[in-house]
Amino acid sequence: MDPECSRLLPALCAVLADPRQPVVDDTCLEKLLDWFKTVTEAESSLLMLQENPCLVELLSHVLKLQDVSSRVLSFSLRLAGIFAAQENCFQYLQQGELLPGLFGEAGPLSRAAWTVPTVRSGWIQGLCSLAQHPSALHFLADHGAIDTIFSLQGDSSLFVASAASQLLVHILALSMCSRAKGHSGPVGGDWPACAQKIVGHIEESLHSATTPQVTQALNVLTTTFGRCHSPWTEALWTRLNPLVACLLERDPIPAAHSLVDLLLSVVRAPVFSSSDCGLWETVARTLSCLSPTQAGPLAVGILKLQHCPQELRAQAFGVLLQPLDCVLKAMAQAPGLPGLLDGAAGDSMMEDTLLSSKSACVGLLCRTLAHLEELQPLPQRPSPWPQAPLLGAAVTILRFCDGSAVPASSMGNHLCGTLAGCVRVQRAALDFLGMLSQGTSPQELVTQVFAVLLEYLKSPDSSPTVLKKAFQAMLRWLLSSAKTAGCSDLSRHTVLVLRELFPVLQKRLCSPCWEVRDSALEFLTHLSRNWGGQADFRHALLGSEVPKLAWQLLQDPEGYVRASAVTAVGQLSSRGLHASPTSPEHPEAQQGLLSEFLHILSEDSEGFPRRAVMQVFTEWLRDGHADVAHDTEQFVATVLQVMSQDLDWEVRAQGLELALVFLAQILGQPDPHCPYAVALPKAAPPGLLTEVLQTLCRVRLFEFVFRALFDCDRPVAQKSCDLLLFLRDKTAPCSHPQEAGGSPDSASMEATLQRWRAGEQGQPLGDLEPEAVLAILGSIDLEGLQGMLAKSSDHMERSPQSLLKDMLATVHVLEENEADCY
Amino acid sequence: MSGGGHASPLHICPHSSPRVQFSHPTKGSEELVRQQGGGGGEGDLAMPLTCPLLRVGAGQDVGRSCILVSIAGKNVMLDCGMHMGFNDDRRFPDFSYITQNGRLTDFLDCVIISHFHLDHCGALPYFSEMVGYDGPIYMTHPTQAICPILLEDYRKIAVDKKGEANFFTSQMIKDCMKKVVAVHLHQTVQVDDELEIKAYYAGHVLGAAMFQIKVGSESVVYTGDYNMTPDRHLGAAWIDKCRPNLLITESTYATTIRDSKRCRERDFLKKVHETVERGGKVLIPVFALGRAQELCILLETFWERMNLKVPIYFSTGLTEKANHYYKLFITWTNQKIRKTFVQRNMFEFKHIKAFDRAFADNPGPMVVFATPGMLHAGQSLQIFRKWAGNEKNMVIMPGYCVQGTVGHKILSGQRKLEMEGRQVLEVKMQVEYMSFSAHADAKGIMQLVGQAEPESVLLVHGEAKKMEFLKQKIEQEFRVNCYMPANGETVTLPTSPSIPVGISLGLLKQEMAQGLLPEAKKPRLLHGTLIMKDSNLRLVSSEQALKELGLAEHQLRFTCRVHLHDTRKEQETAMRVHSHLKSILKDHCVQHLPDGSVTVESILIQAAAHSEDPGTKVLLVSWTYQDEELGSYLTSLLKKGLPQAPS
Repeated sequence: MDPECSRLLPALCAVLADPRQPVVDDTCLEKLLDWFKTVTEAESSLLMLQENPCLVELLSHVLKLQDVSSRVLSFSLRLAGIFAAQENCFQYLQQGELLPGLFGEAGPLSRAAWTVPTVRSGWIQGLCSLAQHPSALHFLADHGAIDTIFSLQGDSSLFVASAASQLLVHILALSMCSRAKGHSGPVGGDWPACAQKIVGHIEESLHSATTPQVTQALNVLTTTFGRCHSPWTEALWTRLNPLVACLLERDPIPAAHSLVDLLLSVVRAPVFSSSDCGLWETVARTLSCLSPTQAGPLAVGILKLQHCPQELRAQAFGVLLQPLDCVLKAMAQAPGLPGLLDGAAGDSMMEDTLLSSKSACVGLLCRTLAHLEELQPLPQRPSPWPQAPLLGAAVTILRFCDGSAVPASSMGNHLCGTLAGCVRVQRAALDFLGMLSQGTSPQELVTQVFAVLLEYLKSPDSSPTVLKKAFQAMLRWLLSSAKTAGCSDLSRHTVLVLRELFPVLQKRLCSPCWEVRDSALEFLTHLSRNWGGQADFRHALLGSEVPKLAWQLLQDPEGYVRASAVTAVGQLSSRGLHASPTSPEHPEAQQGLLSEFLHILSEDSEGFPRRAVMQVFTEWLRDGHADVAHDTEQFVATVLQVMSQDLDWEVRAQGLELALVFLAQILGQPDPHCPYAVALPKAAPPGLLTEVLQTLCRVRLFEFVFRALFDCDRPVAQKSCDLLLFLRDKTAPCSHPQEAGGSPDSASMEATLQRWRAGEQGQPLGDLEPEAVLAILGSIDLEGLQGMLAKSSDHMERSPQSLLKDMLATVHVLEENEADCY
Repeated sequence: MSGGGHASPLHICPHSSPRVQFSHPTKGSEELVRQQGGGGGEGDLAMPLTCPLLRVGAGQDVGRSCILVSIAGKNVMLDCGMHMGFNDDRRFPDFSYITQNGRLTDFLDCVIISHFHLDHCGALPYFSEMVGYDGPIYMTHPTQAICPILLEDYRKIAVDKKGEANFFTSQMIKDCMKKVVAVHLHQTVQVDDELEIKAYYAGHVLGAAMFQIKVGSESVVYTGDYNMTPDRHLGAAWIDKCRPNLLITESTYATTIRDSKRCRERDFLKKVHETVERGGKVLIPVFALGRAQELCILLETFWERMNLKVPIYFSTGLTEKANHYYKLFITWTNQKIRKTFVQRNMFEFKHIKAFDRAFADNPGPMVVFATPGMLHAGQSLQIFRKWAGNEKNMVIMPGYCVQGTVGHKILSGQRKLEMEGRQVLEVKMQVEYMSFSAHADAKGIMQLVGQAEPESVLLVHGEAKKMEFLKQKIEQEFRVNCYMPANGETVTLPTSPSIPVGISLGLLKQEMAQGLLPEAKKPRLLHGTLIMKDSNLRLVSSEQALKELGLAEHQLRFTCRVHLHDTRKEQETAMRVHSHLKSILKDHCVQHLPDGSVTVESILIQAAAHSEDPGTKVLLVSWTYQDEELGSYLTSLLKKGLPQAPS
């Protein structure tokens, strides 16, 4: 322990032990425990207690006090647990009878403070830390702690109840592991006493007629199988499987959700990969007994497994497909048309669910779509994957939702009425539809997909969230259709879609909702990034008003939209697709765009558009955009000048990114794996270097970068430091600090930098000479600075010394300060 | 069908935050209510069949707010706040307690945000974009406009300070805001067919609202933070007499008696004025929005009145945007500001100018508002470091500071701060704390309870001791139950919902046919069969019920033997029974059938000889379930024996 902390501890313990001095801030106690945990992980707890007797005194004092605050009592319980985790320290505390006093029946358990959940929680957490060695097991048994933990499983505080369950698992595992050395598991009924008691309690709970008790038992088991993968868990399952299976015979099945969690936890446990233990049979029975909504998560969990019986996979997939099969059948004009589950009789429970109420129907469909969406991209998804019927079902659901479906059965009529205008289902179906774009689908269905997506994009009834998802799905389908077409040009069908799409996009760019305008711009950006070079796309885009509208949105009242418009227009411009460069209305469109962006960079009141401009400029510079390439030096100088004083540190950080790209272009690429890596730089030849440095001086890059080095926002300083390190290493052979160091130029520059470092950044750096820059570069301890900047800017305030001082200082502050909030 | 999926209550915020949770009815009633098991409100019937119960758990400290309500099977999350005192996972609520119930989007019907303070909305992008909630989020228009600014501000500080990579990004904030549905005050918003919400003015900060959440006849009001006294730029909270089943109210100042806000404002102005008069500089660390605007108005007016020339600067680039919103949402401010708006917009400041970093080194007095508010990074900290060494200067902390910030240190009286590289910063400047936060005090809370007339009250966002005092006061004065559960605790509240039941025309006609006209003030019993079809309840005649449900009718008859001492023949005994009953049951149809048996309505009485005792006759009485009352009566009558026959 740090000597300074050791010095402060007695005073702090005295404060904590004094009930007249309330500890008001919970977070301090939490942080204090974090610190003790870290310290005890690195050094001996026993030694620490011996060197800092105030800690034991605090624990003893808290035990004696009747009016100790519940926070301090809870803290002390947790602290004692942390110390007692080491067996020798446990023995030490035992000698003083401290542990029985804190955790035994005579301790807080019997006090009024026990009614406070924080105290019960502290008791559990203390025991959880303490239970690390065999002595702890004896302690728990001798003091009846296990029975108390059983009762806390049903605690009125969810957090206490949950922690109690976790503790039981922890103790069970400890008990089994202490025995397991040399044993592969319990032989016959020979379980260690402590484990036997816990397992017996679980059995009793599983027999219980009350659902909460069954739930508790199932939750304990779920955690056990999730955490413990030793062979004994197999014996545990063999013992409990019949009891779990018995739950399926009850009507209704109690705690179905927890039961599913347990089964998934067991089937995922590696211990069971080689044996069965009746597991698969129980899972199969559960799948068939649960309601469609409850069975879904189990089915999807089974299908995600790497190894599992084929019949079970088929059964599980059937559970997921059934609701969509019902949907497809509800739309079929005549019976016998291909569905998802041909030959299978319609599941009446499924139909009941879909028909019973709107919320049940919507819930089941949303969950099913989400489960299938989750499965679709996985390599272990069922094969063959019924891509076409699934696509058909997704389209049908979307048609039910927008009222364009013509149902052919009473079920269809019912679904029509239930799903009309249902945003929840629309969102889920559009997400699923987007995911299905990854597979290969028959052209006829693809046509239907585009048709329904266009309808959604056109519909005045589509909500902004639905439109966003429709745009996302449309993008995925367009890009996938181009991939399948395989050639450089877009397919005829895609071109037709585009023709219909751009008028819709135009309309959406003019939407009164900023969310819609923004989603439309994001869509445009992505599409032009991917298809900017496609002749058909270019033609369709330039034939529309979309580029002009995107340009207009640079003036949008909403900052988010302006930022998206900057990105979109920047992207269009990179591809030569900006607002009609040949049109008579925009003779200077391209040049206009650069000044428009510079205007935004200097004038926009919000950070997002300015950041977007910087990103576009960086991309332009990197890609050699025509305007930039025309006079790169001038471009960089202007941009740096405009943004160097920006109030948003992210804009300044982006400026450094631009500076780095510029540097790389004139000096050679930094290491591609680590852009700021300084190892093994390839130095530039001296002649070129002087020229380069002169260029950098001309564009006033150094002024900006050095200013950034002392920026009050850490990421900016960090980035600048990395950039200067890169530059220094590139210029290393030419730098002769001993020669240049004495020049008056570099002396004044150094003086200015000193002032900047002190926070006085008013004075400019003035005109620089390459020699002076080289001298400065050699004289600044950039590595030292880099190390300092790597630490969080509040690392001093977050140190344990600072915490202890703060806690001591806070004692006398008026209570009102703490009661106040934001 | 199983209803087990909803049996476990909902859990959130496992650490030291206030949490409330309502959950579903207890098992017995739940099975009646639910048709469908599985997580989420989707599986419920439109109309509860029985009196469901609301379960509530709540927190007792001031930190992040995140409350879960289950009301008639609908799950609503109220606020999604963060705790600024932690730098790790503990700053956000632990949503794994909810994800245990399945996918968040399926489980939750909506999220409601009461106002833009980070302890109420700071975890929202994390929740929606990183944990994966994809459903609707409701908030008022000003909150929708201002919330992303504060989230962005907070994100920048977190990333700036710690370079945290696993943090929500700007894009995530934007995507989260796209899920927001903005609401107007007093507008009833239909979340789905069953769930509706309505916002009421809460004062506190611009756009703050209380929300009423209603499913059928059950309702809950959540106040968020509110203020019952108007301040310099906002009005007082107000709610109509909506009589909710439960009012969840904050209780930050449950017992605090605070000096008037006017006093604190006067004190603030005096201190600022004195400092600039003697040539000192005043630093006021603030968050970009909220208190900053309030203090700006205060200084602006004072500067105008006193004709002061000392410059006032606002360091953040967000000012313009913030003031823009205050101008835009002028209707949300108080009457005075709205009135003066005609002549001059209060938020167009004449004396307050944008700050440039170079100004901090200028000689002479000045006042600077700088972000962030706790002196934990960025501009405000930089200015503080420059000015701290001069005793003429002053820093005024207008809000709470968490441990681990420079703000917290100087407020707790520390004057020698350790800086990087073993440097020590000596704080010679004056340090002042001025609380301007606007919460209802005990009187205000009582006033609101009086306004809304709830059936019960639940206190959150306060400290246990203070809440206990208020709880007793509320229970005494309003005679309602008041709860103050600890974090994570569950409370169950019974409600008495009114359940609409339709009556079939056939049944009404049947009743009318009996010639009894309905009277408005005289309730009458109406017998029928209650059936539930397509989630609707209807009372119909038993015949119609059988027909509609496609069921066959079964007769259930009770039988009983009564022994009578009578030496006469069975036929004569039957005749004596007939005449005896006829004389007593004048309103009933008593018949003597040709086969010798006697009937009264559905009751059948037959006389038979006793197999062993010829002087005893056995009366076999049987009656249907419907005539159970009459059957029992007749049996007891016959057991008393028959009157002596006239000789």
